[in-house]
Parts: sequence; structure tokens; C-alpha cells
Amino acid sequence: MLNRRNFLKAGAGLALAAAFPARAAAGAGHVVIIGGGVGGATAAKHLKLTNPALRVTVIEANRSYIRPYGSSEVLTGHVGMDDLVVSYDALKSKYGVEFVFDTVTGFDPDRKQVRTAGRQTVAYDKLIVSPGISLQYQAIPGYSAAVAETRAPSGWIPGSQTALLAQQLKAMRPGGTFVIVAPPNPYRCPPGPYERGALVTEWMRRHNPSGKVVILDPKDSFVTDATMQLGWHRLYGYDIPDDYLSDMPADVDNRGKPSPIEWVRAKDGGTTERIDARSLTVTTRGGAVKADVLNIVPPMKAGKLAFDMGLTDASGWCPVDRRTFESSVHKDVFVIGDASIADAMPKSGFAANTQAKVTARAVAAQLAGRAPGEPVWGNTCYALAGSNYGLFVADVFRLKDGKIARVSDQRYLPLDASMAKIRLGAAYQQAWLKTFTEDCFA
Amino acid sequence: MSRLNTFASLALVLAAAHPVHAAQPAPRTPSVADVRATLAAMPRGDVRRGKELNQTLMCASCHGDDGVAPTRNWASLAGQRAAYTYKSLLDYQTGGRHENPRATLMAVAVKDMSRQDMADVAAYYASLPAVAAPAPRLDAAAHARADRLARRGDPARLLTPCASCHGAAGQGGINETPALAGQSVGSFVRTMQDYRAGRRVTDANQGMRQFAERLTAEEIRELAAYYARMGKTGR
Amino acid sequence: MGTLMKSLVFACAALAAAIHPAHAAEPTGEAMAATCAGCHGTQGRLGTVEFMPLAGMAEQEFVRAMQDFRSGKRQATLMGLVAGSFSDGEIEAMARYFAGVKPNAAK
Repeated sequence: MLNRRNFLKAGAGLALAAAFPARAAAGAGHVVIIGGGVGGATAAKHLKLTNPALRVTVIEANRSYIRPYGSSEVLTGHVGMDDLVVSYDALKSKYGVEFVFDTVTGFDPDRKQVRTAGRQTVAYDKLIVSPGISLQYQAIPGYSAAVAETRAPSGWIPGSQTALLAQQLKAMRPGGTFVIVAPPNPYRCPPGPYERGALVTEWMRRHNPSGKVVILDPKDSFVTDATMQLGWHRLYGYDIPDDYLSDMPADVDNRGKPSPIEWVRAKDGGTTERIDARSLTVTTRGGAVKADVLNIVPPMKAGKLAFDMGLTDASGWCPVDRRTFESSVHKDVFVIGDASIADAMPKSGFAANTQAKVTARAVAAQLAGRAPGEPVWGNTCYALAGSNYGLFVADVFRLKDGKIARVSDQRYLPLDASMAKIRLGAAYQQAWLKTFTEDCFA
Repeated sequence: MSRLNTFASLALVLAAAHPVHAAQPAPRTPSVADVRATLAAMPRGDVRRGKELNQTLMCASCHGDDGVAPTRNWASLAGQRAAYTYKSLLDYQTGGRHENPRATLMAVAVKDMSRQDMADVAAYYASLPAVAAPAPRLDAAAHARADRLARRGDPARLLTPCASCHGAAGQGGINETPALAGQSVGSFVRTMQDYRAGRRVTDANQGMRQFAERLTAEEIRELAAYYARMGKTGR
Repeated sequence: MGTLMKSLVFACAALAAAIHPAHAAEPTGEAMAATCAGCHGTQGRLGTVEFMPLAGMAEQEFVRAMQDFRSGKRQATLMGLVAGSFSDGEIEAMARYFAGVKPNAAK
């Protein structure tokens, strides 16, 4: 493995054999995108939509994409792993985006080149990096990538761990405990761990009725926490904590009985100190919790490539100019998606999608010698408290004093929403999975 | 009343054994006698209560406060025959209608409705005047073609006139046959395509399919505009 | 002017400002429309019909829908929240953009 110094060196001095020469004709040029996830794919498509004359090359390690959004539905068998796979064909055939299926191993910001494991040197006029997240397994004592692959999967980047977790849930003993260790802020898909807990609880009502879900949390709150807990209350008899009760509608009636889903917050000792992979025991500040299935969503930082390319700061995320997402470290390099520091914007697919569009327009404008226009971003995260119980957070973001700020404080499904609205929310969530994938990849 | 609704809905949610997108039962095509029996059991509708339900059940968001769709993609229901609305709602609820993704949304939206609720909203929409919908202007020749199909049919293709069931003013006819006056173009065209492709099969004996499949796409578009422009104007 | 009247006027002005936020610089209609695409299709050209395809929608129809969502006159799951983040002028700019996009024939 290359360390950062070597990584940067590896990119240097390879200019002579440039297989992909850059060419900056009027308004045109070569935009190279590293990473074919939501951010990278959307950027590629929108660059071509904005200016078909641009040459756009995506460098991506995998031949197809496995979507993380909606991937908790694999655990309950609602969809299979195959349903998560998204093809790059439309980006190639419909929009003329070029793909290099390879891993980036070197970067020379002075010569504006990247180098791949397959020994290709790719020159760019503008480089967009969409490296996603890296899971900090080692941040939890007792946890590691190896443990995640075999004993206690995270399944936060979908793949073999998602499949393993689904298997473990199905094989769990009757009356077993499914423990989710939630991550500290900031992390990808803020409502995700809680939606996962809800879907597993719903699944167990049918398949393992005496089983339970325990969410251990190093935080005291999460986005959509009030509406999600209201859903848990209505669907699973979950008791809503006192500090959330005052805003709840009148049908809320805490029973004081154990419920099949439990949320242990930091203030109640929910912070994980270490885990024992062999016995599947989580030691929290509040005591030991024995799991039958242990799902750990570890702390996160920017994707490894962002570190290798020197794009991160001390926080482990990538500082950018908020108007364009141009890196604060390297000129003509842009960092979008979860890896970037985007103030009020969450680390979500929807956010990455709108960042990609703003950046695509900015890059196209710069190449044409124009100033980038006024940006606007959006985010909608749908989440399920049950397969027929939808909720959401919806935001529009704008640039304000050099930072990205949300426009409105009204963001959530109202607590007094009708059941018709709640069910429609769930139906729209399912529809969104399709329309969103189309907007990014087709 | 809205409080009551919440509780009633809650019980249904808790009882829901299948997620939204679970495999749907195959729709069954009813006979004329089946449809008659269904409609004979329709409760008497209460227009006032229907007007309230139009809001509380969120129908109005897509179908309008006064049954006129605020955007031309959804169906307008003002002036719709109560029997047709009632039977449609029942079909959505019992799993007979999933001809397109929009039908999936309807199945979700009507899940908690009682038969009385259905009769009430049906009565409300029937009490409202049909309002002409935005539609492309037909030139004289196109209008004449649509008008001929509507009022005379086309014996060469065994097409009986639309008006023989749907009324000369598009007001709807016997039993559950719907009114067409003021129907939104998008909804009309989509409905005909669904009949034509055999995706929508819950009308008596699939009677509509034989007409829909003998019409060209162009004729469907012209008929859509023809009927959309009927109804009260100057809204 | 009486104090009550003054504070009423002030309250109304504040309310108007809250409902119709003024933004120093406005994004183009196209840039704002891009935030709709995750649900309503790229350029509003949605092929399925769970969400409303926006391409080719008449300007008035779009403006009225957004204004009614924003005021709460028209119920929605989340469109009220989205519409509330755009000013009248911005809604009109989006309306002009969508009206000019050719709708998807496969609607």
C-alpha cells in the first residue's frame, strides 16, 4: 500500500506518456472524475448535459455500482443484493461518458494528472473527486475490518457485509437481540441506523416475535428523531422518552412495558467503549450488552483516496470553497459528496447529487471562462419506521456568508400528520429509490 | 373526527401484514351482475361529509378542493358519477387496480376508507359541476373526427359511439360508466392506454378494452382534448 | 398610527419576509430545477407517474401549485417544505424553465 507521500510521488514524473492528453478548446476540456458513486455519476451526467462538447472520464474501481440508499431493505428480504446493483451503461451510451475501470494510485496536482494501478496516466483540465467515506473500524477497541467481514458486520457500505448481516438476522435464535451500534456525527445517511432498527423490528414481529433490537448510541439525538420514535411507538409499542413527549400528538400513550426496540442514548450510557467479537458483547458506559447479532456502524471519515490525495484537513474531511466545492488544498480539484465539508448539508445521496450538479455547472462555466452562478442545493431523506410508515427530512440550502445554510427550519413530517400522509410517505420513498437512481445514473 | 380517524388508521397500520410493494393479487374482471351487486350495496352518500374527507384523507392534494385536478396529470373528479368513483375506490382497496405506479399510490391512500367514506366522497364529487380542463386546441378536422367517434362511432370498426354509454355531454351513463367531461388530458390518455394494454381489467367483462384497442393513439389524444374541453368554463 | 396597528404592520411585514424570503443573488431557473430532479426526473422529464413530471408543465400551473403548497392550501407530504424555500420570483423562474423543456413522450 502506498502512503501519502509515495502516492503523490507516484503521480509525478509520468507526464511523458500521457495516454489521455488534456485539450482545452473553447469551453471544452477534459474533466476527470474519480469515483462512480452518486456524486461522481451525477457530475458526469450533468457535465455532459451542460456541455456535450466536454470530454468526461470517470475512473472507478468497480464495473457497476452497489447503491447504499435503501440497502437496509436487504436485511428484511424486501429486496435482494442484486436489486442494489446499478449499471453504468446509460452514462456511457446515452451521454458519452468514458469509463476507466481502475484504481487511482498516483496524483500530480502540478502536472494535473492522475495515475492508475493499470499504469494509465490520465491528464485533466478539471478533476472532480467523489471518494465517499471510509469506515473507521479501528476507532472501536475490539473492532476491525476483519471482524466486520466475519462476526459483526457494519453493512454501511453495501456488499458482503450486508449479505452477512441478512444471513445472521435470519439465523438468529428465537428471542435473540439484534444490537446496532450507531455512529457519532458526522456520518453517512443520518436517519439510516434508526430506519434499519425499525425495519429489523418489523421483520422480527413476523419471523422472530420475541426477538428485540437495541440501538446503542454515542449521541443524544438524531435527525428525524421525534417522528421516527413516534412511528416506533405506534408500530411497536416503544415508550417515547420524557424529553420528547411534550410535542407528541394525543394518541401517544406510554405503557411502561418493554418494547421490541430500544434506543440507549449517550446520556443513558449508550456510548460504546469496546466490543468483544467472540462473545458479541458491547461494553458501553452504561454496562455490558450481549448481542446475538451485532451490527456496528463505526465512526467515519472521508474516503481513503481523499487522504491519499492530500485533500483532507485535521477533521478527516475535505475543506472546499462552498460555492463550487473546489478543494481548499489543490486548485482545479473539486471534492463532492460525503467526503466534503458542507456545513448544514448532511452526508446523504441526495446531497451528493445536488452538490454534483452545482459543481458540474461551475466546472463547465470555468472552462468556458465564465464565473460560476449562484448555487442552490437540496436534500430529501425519506426514512421508514415500518414498510408502510414513511417520514422524511427535506431541506433547501443556499450560500450564506461563505457557508452553506438551510433556508427553513421547517424540515420534518409534522407530528400530527394523518396516516394517509404517512403511508404515502412510504410509497414515495419506494418511488424515490427508482427516480433518484435514474437521475444519477440514467 | 380527525382524531378518530387517526386511531382507526392506526389499527389498520398495525394489522398491515404486507409491505406496500408486496406481490399484488391478480385483478379479477367482474361480470355485469357482479358490478350491479356491488353498486346495489353502495351506502347512501353524504355530500357534506364527503367534502370533509376530501381534505382529511388528502384526496384534494391531487384531485383538487373542488374535484378539479390542480395539475393536468391527475384525474379530475368534479361531476364524476358516484357509482364510478365508489367502484374505483373499492377496486383500489381490494387490490384490483395496479395498472400503473399511480394506482399504487391510490391503493395506499384509500387503505383506511370505509364503504361509507367511499360513498361520501363519491357523492361529493358527483355534486360538483364538471369544469373544462386545459387541453390542446383541436383544429376543425380533428374536432370533427373526435366528435364523429363520440357521437356516431365507427361501424366499420364495430366502434359504438362513446356517447351511448358516456352521454352526449360526456356526463356518464348507466351503472358505473364514468363521466368524461372535463377530464384531464393526461389522465384520459393514460386510462385508455391502460385499457388498451390490458393492464386495467376491473370494468364489467373488460368492456372498455375492445374499444380502446381499436382506437389509434392519435384518436385517443383527440378524444382526450375533445372531452377535456367539455364542462363549465370561465373558472 | 396606533401601537397595535404598528406592531400589526410590523408583524405582517415580518411574516411576508418569512414566507417570501428575499435572496441577494438568485440561482437560475435551471439551477433551482436541478434540485427537483431526484424525484421529478432529470430536467423534470420523469417517465413514471408516482411523482409529477414537470417538463412541459404550463407556467401558471407550476406557479399555482408551488404557491398553494407553500401557503398550505394544498396538502402535501413534503412539497410544502420545499416550496417554502423559494421566493415568488424564483418559483416563476423555475416555471419558465420547466415550461420550456420537452416532456418525456413515455409518460
